[in-house]
Amino acid sequence: MIRVEHLSKRFGNLEVLKDINAEIAQGEVISIIGPSGTGKSTFLRCLNLLDQPSGGHIEIDGQDILAPKANVPALRRRMGMVFQSFNLFAHLTVLENLTIGPVRLLAKPPGEATNRGLELLRMVGLAEKAHSFPDELSGGQKQRVAIARCLSMEPEIILFDEPTSALDPTMVSEVLAVIRRLARQGMTMAIVTHEMEFARDVSTRVFYMDEGLIYEEGPPEQIFDHPRRQRTRDFIGKVRSLSYQVSSADYDLYSLVGKIEGFCEKHLIPPRSAHGAQLLAEEALGVLLSRPGPHDIRLTLAYSEKHRHLELRLDSLGPPGNPLETTDLPDDLPLTIIRNYAEDIGYERRGEFNCLRLRVR
Amino acid sequence: MDITHSQHGSIRIIALKGRMDAVTAPLFDKAFAEAATPDASDFVIQLDGLEYISSAGLRSILMVAKQVKAKNGRLILTGLTDEVREVFHLSGFHTILRICDTKEAALAELA
Repeated sequence: MIRVEHLSKRFGNLEVLKDINAEIAQGEVISIIGPSGTGKSTFLRCLNLLDQPSGGHIEIDGQDILAPKANVPALRRRMGMVFQSFNLFAHLTVLENLTIGPVRLLAKPPGEATNRGLELLRMVGLAEKAHSFPDELSGGQKQRVAIARCLSMEPEIILFDEPTSALDPTMVSEVLAVIRRLARQGMTMAIVTHEMEFARDVSTRVFYMDEGLIYEEGPPEQIFDHPRRQRTRDFIGKVRSLSYQVSSADYDLYSLVGKIEGFCEKHLIPPRSAHGAQLLAEEALGVLLSRPGPHDIRLTLAYSEKHRHLELRLDSLGPPGNPLETTDLPDDLPLTIIRNYAEDIGYERRGEFNCLRLRVR
Repeated sequence: MDITHSQHGSIRIIALKGRMDAVTAPLFDKAFAEAATPDASDFVIQLDGLEYISSAGLRSILMVAKQVKAKNGRLILTGLTDEVREVFHLSGFHTILRICDTKEAALAELA
């Protein structure tokens, strides 16, 4: 139904979307998750051209919506959008909000539009509010009206941009219930959301967006239970991290120690583990820096709130091979310390980098 | 790392406080060199104030121990904190270096 190829979007010098490729088939419910600022809303807004893409192609049922001759209003009409901030017409009643679009844009007879509007309000549980004005409603009620308004235009796909983010937590469930119902009815939907349990329940597929890309996608079981890629794992595992770049043996050890101490304090990491993290950092860097240069080492200390794991990651440029197995050190003290203070050691090669993972005891 | 020197008769006492790592280990090397006058053969190194030691620190202590042994002297380490004791144990240093709980016990042994 929707095919996106090499979609990019830049705001001035800021490249928000780098190279988005995706397909959304009819009947699918796609949840789009990821850290703030990674382009989730921008992606959605490009799909219906609320934001103009900088590059790439978007096809809806084979029609390129970015082509000069594309009938953009007609294509847009097939897509409904529900916003974080509801965006109801404040000067119209709830029912009038639902009928104005069908009457003016779809040329529906007013009687038919009214009947359909009441039916939709019953569907979202707000028939009794038909003649109220939006400012008489709660946030959750406004959002349910917004969804009903969207449905009144008979869209083939609905885009939801954080539909519950502006709501009091007590109202989130009533809106999610409406969206779940639409999913059961087979509506094609793309939903940007921070509600992970909801996304897991309702989605056919999940897009994890990061670094301006769809970093990983798959069924909910994969994304939430067995993510394949590191940043997805970090996001799902609620991992907090600090990073430090080392490019010579003269690096500032005390700057690094200070950052590690501060990070551990902030996340209430026990002193024993904090001590272990410092020791592992110094010893592992010592091993890596003992090899011939040039040196390009990215050190990351990552704490998973979900699993309560503290992990030291060292990604170093160099010839392929586990640095802990290919050292030429004067003694084995560093390796002895590393093997004793790391309860798990992992290695993989990624591109030109050797990537070590040390789980701190 | 803070380093203080004292003496008990002919026994040289060096007290360390803070961290002994790749940056500060050379300071210890220098401090020992100053204390190791020709007439000095027995040494006590107090580690009560040492909260952290890495392989660089272990290496420096080992070098000092070898120098003392070469002169037929004696070296005792005292007051190991839990963190330092653990590193000593896993590196096997506790089997090759003499360790006492307190400075007084070390001085009594060297008397």
